[in-house]
Amino acid sequence: MKSSPSSIKIVSIITGVLLVAVVYLLFTPQERFFGFHETEVDFSRDIKPIINDNCIVCHGGVKQMSGFSLLFPEEAYSPNESGKRAIVPGNPEESEMIRLLRHHDPEVRMPLEEEPLSDEEISLLERWIEQGAEWGEHWAYIPPEPVDPPETNSEWASSGIDHFILQGLQDRGLEPSPEADRTTLLRRVSFDLTGLPPTMEELEEFLQDDSPGAYERAVDRLLGSPAYGEHWASMWMDLARYADSKGYEKDAGRNIWQYRDWLIRAFNEDKPFNQFTVEQLAGDLLPDPSDDQIIATAFHRNTMNNDEGGTNDEEFRVAAVMDRVRTTWNVWQATTMECAQCHNHTYDPIRMEDYYRSYAYFNNTADADVPSDDPNLKSFRREADLEGLERIREWVESRTEGEEEASRQASEYVDLVRLSEPKLHGHYFDDLERGTITSTNSYLAVEDGGHARIRDVDLTGSDRMMLRFRSGRDSGLVEVRTGSPQGDVIGRWQVSAQQGWRIASIPIEPQERLHDLYLTFHDPGRDGYVATIMWILFYEELPGEERPEFAEVRQEFDRLLNATEEVVETPVMVELEGNFRRSTHVFERGNWMVHGEEVTPGVPAALNEMPEDLPENRLGLARWLVSEENPLTARVIVNRLWTRMFGIGIVETVSDFGSNGSLPSHPELLDWLALQFMNEHDWSLKQQLRQIVMSSVYRQSSKTSPELLELDPNNRLLARGPRIRLEAEQIRDQALRVSGLLSEKMYGSSVMPEQPEGLWQQVYSGMRWVTSEGEDRYRRALYTFWRRTNPYPSLVMFDAPSREVCVSLRINTNTPLQALVTLNDPVYLEAAQHLAERMRNVDTESVEAQIGAGYRMAMLREADAVRLTLLEELYDDTRLYFEENREAAEALTGSEDTELATLTVVANAIMNLDEFLTKS
Amino acid sequence: MTIFEELIYRNAERQSRKHFIKQCSLGLGGLAMAAMTGCSPFSSPGGNRDAITGRDPFAPKPPHFAPKAKRVIYLHMAGAPSQLELFDYKPELHKLHGQDAPPSLMEGKEFAFIRGIPKMMGPQARFEPRGESGIMVSDLLPHFSTIVDDVSIIKSMHTDEFNHAPAQLLTLTGHTQLGHPSMGSWITYGLGSENDNLPGFMVLLSGGQMPSAGKSAWSSGFIPSIYQGVQCRTDGGDPVLYASNPDGVDRQLRRRAVDAINEINRKEFSETGDPEILTRISQYEMAYRMQASVPEVMDISGEPDYIHEMYGTEPGKTSFANNCLLARRLAEKDVRFIQLFDWGWDSHGTDESTAIDAGFREKCRHVDQPMTALVKDLKQRGMLEETLVVWGGEFGRTPMQENRDGQDMPYLGRDHHTEAYTIWMAGGGIKGGFTYGETDEIGFAGIKDRVHVHDLQATILHQMGLDHERLTHFHQGRDFRLTDVHGEVVKGILA
Repeated sequence: MKSSPSSIKIVSIITGVLLVAVVYLLFTPQERFFGFHETEVDFSRDIKPIINDNCIVCHGGVKQMSGFSLLFPEEAYSPNESGKRAIVPGNPEESEMIRLLRHHDPEVRMPLEEEPLSDEEISLLERWIEQGAEWGEHWAYIPPEPVDPPETNSEWASSGIDHFILQGLQDRGLEPSPEADRTTLLRRVSFDLTGLPPTMEELEEFLQDDSPGAYERAVDRLLGSPAYGEHWASMWMDLARYADSKGYEKDAGRNIWQYRDWLIRAFNEDKPFNQFTVEQLAGDLLPDPSDDQIIATAFHRNTMNNDEGGTNDEEFRVAAVMDRVRTTWNVWQATTMECAQCHNHTYDPIRMEDYYRSYAYFNNTADADVPSDDPNLKSFRREADLEGLERIREWVESRTEGEEEASRQASEYVDLVRLSEPKLHGHYFDDLERGTITSTNSYLAVEDGGHARIRDVDLTGSDRMMLRFRSGRDSGLVEVRTGSPQGDVIGRWQVSAQQGWRIASIPIEPQERLHDLYLTFHDPGRDGYVATIMWILFYEELPGEERPEFAEVRQEFDRLLNATEEVVETPVMVELEGNFRRSTHVFERGNWMVHGEEVTPGVPAALNEMPEDLPENRLGLARWLVSEENPLTARVIVNRLWTRMFGIGIVETVSDFGSNGSLPSHPELLDWLALQFMNEHDWSLKQQLRQIVMSSVYRQSSKTSPELLELDPNNRLLARGPRIRLEAEQIRDQALRVSGLLSEKMYGSSVMPEQPEGLWQQVYSGMRWVTSEGEDRYRRALYTFWRRTNPYPSLVMFDAPSREVCVSLRINTNTPLQALVTLNDPVYLEAAQHLAERMRNVDTESVEAQIGAGYRMAMLREADAVRLTLLEELYDDTRLYFEENREAAEALTGSEDTELATLTVVANAIMNLDEFLTKS
Repeated sequence: MTIFEELIYRNAERQSRKHFIKQCSLGLGGLAMAAMTGCSPFSSPGGNRDAITGRDPFAPKPPHFAPKAKRVIYLHMAGAPSQLELFDYKPELHKLHGQDAPPSLMEGKEFAFIRGIPKMMGPQARFEPRGESGIMVSDLLPHFSTIVDDVSIIKSMHTDEFNHAPAQLLTLTGHTQLGHPSMGSWITYGLGSENDNLPGFMVLLSGGQMPSAGKSAWSSGFIPSIYQGVQCRTDGGDPVLYASNPDGVDRQLRRRAVDAINEINRKEFSETGDPEILTRISQYEMAYRMQASVPEVMDISGEPDYIHEMYGTEPGKTSFANNCLLARRLAEKDVRFIQLFDWGWDSHGTDESTAIDAGFREKCRHVDQPMTALVKDLKQRGMLEETLVVWGGEFGRTPMQENRDGQDMPYLGRDHHTEAYTIWMAGGGIKGGFTYGETDEIGFAGIKDRVHVHDLQATILHQMGLDHERLTHFHQGRDFRLTDVHGEVVKGILA
């Protein structure tokens, strides 16, 4: 009846191998998109790939064997150690490189101990040298050139995008696919723009609207929906490595959800991408920044924080800064800057020094890997607190000369309450006597008769010291002395017993300039620590001391410093100033403890120049990134959007536009889009997305044929629409939506939907998963509490990352564990049962109608006869099973109703269909 | 249409609804039969595993050269056990007990918790030569002492990191930063799996605390997530998350539902031509098989009494002993990489449970018998030769007594130490009754045949038939490997 399985297996393995071979031959990118046999040899297109594949590892940024490197032209043309020149432009015969590539002796022939280059490759190199060995610049570093879409003869093409794609298809004798049916199209665009399937009502409305522009109106409705911001925020959260915990061993919680809410609002308001960029990288450095702009800088406070006992805070502060460098270059420039951490970049024109010049931009923020995650911006919610803050602002303002200065001063005092920077942390102290920096938390703790030093404190203009402390006793005294433990006493603090942390403030005698300060601790006759100090801070007393109300204002100031009720803290960026600034050095071999030469902030020479009028800080860097001269930013973000829509980018390697990344499949389209994005859409993401989803390319049916599949398995040519498995968040959200469970509540601290017991057995951590109640159990996936070492399992199984580091592209897998989630996870069972109830509400009599309705609610289209029959047969068999096992029905649904149990099984099957899990 | 495509189509056709319904849907009685006869080519017992799609990432792949071992059982003692109380016998240190550490020893060194000048601390155990080889092992490991002639002990291990999380990452992923594939992921990525019904890389925890590195210790990093370790829980919940059917749904009903799902998916494939659908069909079959095979392999209650006595196992509990027995059972099923984590080895002496002379002894008592039983059991089944067993922590412990934050400690403890520690290996082409490497008189640092963690990784890969320099994955612009840019096979311990 059928051929034996083993023979099928063998035949298919052989054909599989053949297919792989054929595909490989057909699809090396250069061949497919450019063709090899043009007369003019182009460096980037023809030569650089050969060099990167065969030469660069020994003759590049890392190693320069025999004194020869192919990374920069000046190095490549110079004589190498032997005194000979590897490349003599115009003269292949004189070029040592060609001689060694062709050498007959395998012990001499290049590449050493590797397969020789093909004749074709060598002759390409020869022709290149003969033509003058022009060093072409890598395509991605040349700013996009204005280009008009090609003219194609087709009614199909409705936009510039279509013309570019169509030409690519026609060049290969292919035709685009017809437009997808309207239901499929609406489902696709709804997922792509909002992450959710359309509701039945939305679908009905769309199907009934047969006037022109119906699709466009649907697109505009989706772009205007609040769900749009949620969906795109969750995309950005992978890049921002957003999580609700700090990572590493302890992986304690972190309050940073206000940043997530900022993202949702920014996307919904369609904040232009250039502004979106500047606020996240440097919102704190904008003039008179708003709270929102400061919270935006939490983007780079999503770095991990190591609270493990015995770790060196400076080491992990450095690690966080390095992560900021890597993430910034990845997100905005698709450049693997981190490759230049220990040596010049292997493939790209980036020198090791460039890495540390980038590092210098990020090396002067106040964060220091401390357990508190400081600096945190305190957002007060209580009326009394907000009034108190306002009172302080007014008080300072009315006592300061000059409007601008008054406003500046007032802001400084408000910031002193809300940010309390610059802090001197416990682990900044040294020269300890009878004291310690606690190895678990880096606090300063000193016994009676002991002291601790902090060096080079600039006390100019300060007459008060703030300190955050705790202590078990009232008897201690701490003195502040200058120069030595026996130096002049400039301040005295009577320790008060304090169980939790408290911020106290004492007067100190004003001093000029820098001093080494000693804190000396006294509590004669008592063992143990006099006090534990988290940080200290020097500042100037509020003005108006002479006024009778002063005491009241000061009291309010102190009260607000210690207020915690309804205060939300968010880690943010605060730039260090003056004496607090750190110098930046190259780390020899990437080792943070071995400092090389000092560097200043700057950008690689291969990219657009840093304009002189930009400040030498994060704000300058951010503005440079979004300047129209930057060749990468617009291309990179447009490519990210494209990738989300089609499943594959115009540049496939979304996070590497360097010479080792893949070449663009449609380079002119990419440039055209990048220029449109900047010039026509004014950096509007919504406009850009609108342009893409309105194109005929996007609207194509995703059906494919074996021929097309063989020719273009990854759909780079776009002769068909995208067909891709939904993302983790979409899978959950869809299940909740079609079952009617999904909550539309937005914003706020992260929630804990149901997950299996006992997953959170973290080390030394009191954190617990406490399942949320009410509608918080059914929120969209992006609100789920994201613990880095143990993220929500059903999301992870569908390839959501742990968010420990920036992830540009999720790897799309197809595993048995995913099947177990959608079949058996109680969350999905609950959704199935709710869908079953909805099915029954449609028609209480006809099973056929119920099943048809269930399919329609899930898939938004009618089931065909085959599907319907198969589902009905499943229903019949299941019904029989539950009739015979009534207790099983109750076990499944909690109700004796066998019909409900049966429909639940059918609904669960529907929600496991490939078409349900796929955007097509 | 290529032959390949034609085959897919023909198969889809063959599985048309009529055929399927006639053959399989004979009511409930027919359901079980459908599963047993393998009416669909995807559900045949033993698994036809994706031959039809040619896309199976777990299909066995040829090694780089002839392997000595087919699988690895890696016993990681998270927290890092003291080598000085177990394997690295230092009578000289005994004489120095209680004296201040010489400043020259401390110079330029950084420790996690030791501050100022600590005191030296002699071995808190008695050592004796064991077995025919006469290898010195302390009396804290009486069972292990009986198998020294089957193991190689490496005394000169060293690493770069003295905090748990980064050191565990370095040991298991070759890098201190997160996001790199773990050893088990690399090996299943390189060799595939020989079991159709179980994941190729499985992880078992003794209960208590997670290892400090968390799930990153068995993450697949930047290689496809299908290669990440699958954590099997033994605490009464699902051994593999969501493997149990919901209450009220039995295996037959599940079979029936999976058949309906797959049948509609085949229809979908015939309409859209997307081969990813075929993969999904086979993954649903694999999921269905795992639902049976995982609980089956995880159920140790059917093991004979003498085995339970040998391991010291108690069915139903979560313990290292149970996990050792489970490791053997998974090895029998050809699971490629079996990773066990024990916990509580961080013997700082801050309280009784972390005291070298109290809690640490207790830990030894808990692992000694089962880890010994595992080696013996593999040997008596003729499996030791092809199974590489590795035991060790993420670093060692100081010969000095810990003085946390410069203060005296209530119990005897040792701080984290990177310069010297001990691991042992057995089976899989490793010498028996052999010690490798030496440390100085007080056990502070290796002085002969030092072995870095990257060397250990290179050696494990080598025994599996993989060249650590050739097992690479292209990521962010370059090839990455388990051993970063380091690692040399420790030839001295190879049999």
